[in-house]
Amino acid sequence: MLDSLLALGGLVLLRDSVEWEGRSLLKALVKKSALCGEQVHILGCEVSEEEFREGFDSDINNRLVYHDFFRDPLNWSKTEEAFPGGPLGALRAMCKRTDPVPVTIALDSLSWLLLRLPCTTLCQVLHAVSHQDSCPGDSSSVGKVSVLGLLHEELHGPGPVGALSSLAQTEVTLGGTMGQASAHILCRRPRQRPTDQTQWFSILPDFSLDLQEGPSVESQPYSDPHIPPVSKNAKVDPTTHLTFNLHLSKKEREARDSLILPFQFSSEKQQALLRPRPGQATSHIFYEPDAYDDLDQEDPDDDLDI
Amino acid sequence: MAAVATCGSVAASTGSAVATASKSNVTSFQRRGPRASVTNDSGPRLVSIAGTRPSVRNGQLLVSTGLPALDQLLGGGLAVGTVLLIEEDKYNIYSPLLFKYFLAEGIVNGHTLLVASAKEDPANILQELPAPLLDDKCKKEFDEDVYNHKTPESNIKMKIAWRYQLLPKMEQIGPVSSSRFGHYYDASKRMPQELIEASNWHGFFLPEKISSTLKVEPCSLTPGYTKLLQFIQNIIYEEGFDGSNPQKKQRNILRIGIQNLGSPLWGDDICCAENGGNSHSLTKFLYVLRGLLRTSLSACIITMPTHLIQNKAIIARVTTLSDVVVGLESFIGSERETNPLYKDYHGLIHIRQIPRLNNLICDESDVKDLAFKLKRKLFTIERLHLPPDLSDTVSRSSKMDLAESAKRLGPGCGMMAGGKKHLDF
Repeated sequence: MLDSLLALGGLVLLRDSVEWEGRSLLKALVKKSALCGEQVHILGCEVSEEEFREGFDSDINNRLVYHDFFRDPLNWSKTEEAFPGGPLGALRAMCKRTDPVPVTIALDSLSWLLLRLPCTTLCQVLHAVSHQDSCPGDSSSVGKVSVLGLLHEELHGPGPVGALSSLAQTEVTLGGTMGQASAHILCRRPRQRPTDQTQWFSILPDFSLDLQEGPSVESQPYSDPHIPPVSKNAKVDPTTHLTFNLHLSKKEREARDSLILPFQFSSEKQQALLRPRPGQATSHIFYEPDAYDDLDQEDPDDDLDI
Repeated sequence: MAAVATCGSVAASTGSAVATASKSNVTSFQRRGPRASVTNDSGPRLVSIAGTRPSVRNGQLLVSTGLPALDQLLGGGLAVGTVLLIEEDKYNIYSPLLFKYFLAEGIVNGHTLLVASAKEDPANILQELPAPLLDDKCKKEFDEDVYNHKTPESNIKMKIAWRYQLLPKMEQIGPVSSSRFGHYYDASKRMPQELIEASNWHGFFLPEKISSTLKVEPCSLTPGYTKLLQFIQNIIYEEGFDGSNPQKKQRNILRIGIQNLGSPLWGDDICCAENGGNSHSLTKFLYVLRGLLRTSLSACIITMPTHLIQNKAIIARVTTLSDVVVGLESFIGSERETNPLYKDYHGLIHIRQIPRLNNLICDESDVKDLAFKLKRKLFTIERLHLPPDLSDTVSRSSKMDLAESAKRLGPGCGMMAGGKKHLDF
């Protein structure tokens, strides 16, 4: 999946850290898209142009359109630049393209821009650049735009990083173990569940991507890598070793179904209540009056004339 | 007792006095509008707008949110003049659905729509609205859905617990065939184009309205918010939702939908920084918006990415400034996805606030633990059921997992599961 990152378009965030640097992956993706025939623009802010172009062979170097903001970031030398507005102006100018050719814009680095520009403006411009092709009406005229941004996670707080990752279509977090680099790719499609995958890779000296089978290649429904998975215990069947019977045989089931429950008023019960009870004559009550019993034969209600 | 009796008689006498006075035309209380005839003096006429109904509790005019299950949880519907705030889930998958249900309900009832977004063009949002299910078809769809998930035992008539057959089922809230208030929508189909074109809608897409970066003075609203408020005010005034154009033939409701308010795309930096320069912008916007809504026949839905807001005090203020607050928490990416307690659902829905409008108490339901599920066609909200707590033979650690997650549940689910220690009998 690492090699088809640019196929989706939109904003792709490459989150790297001090241990696992992302510039070589950025250069590998730039080389891949240049070889595919796309138009590649580079906004170089963090390293010099010579350092960026190092390692690329000449035909790739000829295809890259490099905008250098490293040598003179504040434009003190007042030369006639192609983009007078600084990197923001360059990005805004790219919003107004009309070419059908797909374009890849590599931002080296997005952290540099985030530290110098207000976060909201940067988010708005990135959204405008990466979503040019999302209108259903005139999708044929403008080619797909991918924006690759290199973000150094440790330089920023959770706020700007959270804001940028909510805008991004794909987020690649670099990590690894024991000298083997891995990329955790989280892909957010607009109305679907995000999918993620971990891919082990290495970058060859000529900046081509070598995908490897690392210690564990898992592709599961997205789970946060920082929280260990819940271990499932073996299900114990509680119905074994019981002292009573939980299962019914067919005859028992029939007998149970035909049982009349006490509160159900069926016709038999009605008949039983209405019929005079046959056992009544056979039972007697024998009573020996005690010394303290007051047997008054006079009924107190006798003088009531009802 | 005597005092009450005299009050009663005084009231009766004034009532009759009013009746005789109105009959004889000497009263100073003039009724606005055409006088009803003396013989059928039935009292003030109720405002009857399509798609609204008065609340049974306090007579407030209610509109449907598009999801009849949510209407029931809010006490009948969303009151006209209030704000429904939806706290988005982390990957923003389910909150756009609720947003679209609200707008689709407006189209089906013929209300005017105002859609504002900084991320997507409102015309594109309207193209993706779910299709309404008509009455004769929807019962069939429902039976299909319910049948697929029914277990075989529930088909047997209950013999011992026969009283429970009479209770209404909480799980599936079936289609109310006779009401015109809430409608059901098929999330897998799109609304037909002719319905969208026949409706009256206004769109506000921020990148089109703001072309240049303006200098923002401190303690004022972000330019995006100012423009949006002006736009809403213009629409309310021009189309007469606040009663300013008395010649309007038929009164209607304005449904306002604002998507992703507070995200950096609106120019607001509360998601980026903890103490930004414009930290009061959003709260001021909500205050002014609520003022506009209270004086007009409109209802508003706002989705907000509160999980990105860095300063928790702002979230509390935003909750206080809104009327109804519903939070969505999806299980994607969290450890709850693999928890057996939640395996049937896609997320939890928290009703965080319900307003008390002209009332001393609010109409909250007694079910506090609700979960939602997005089936292929329907978005359902159900009560969260705990699985049966099997006793000693189940191992302790999984029982502890359930206890941990059950701790988050409210008291409605039973106190037994809520305790951390399990008592052995």
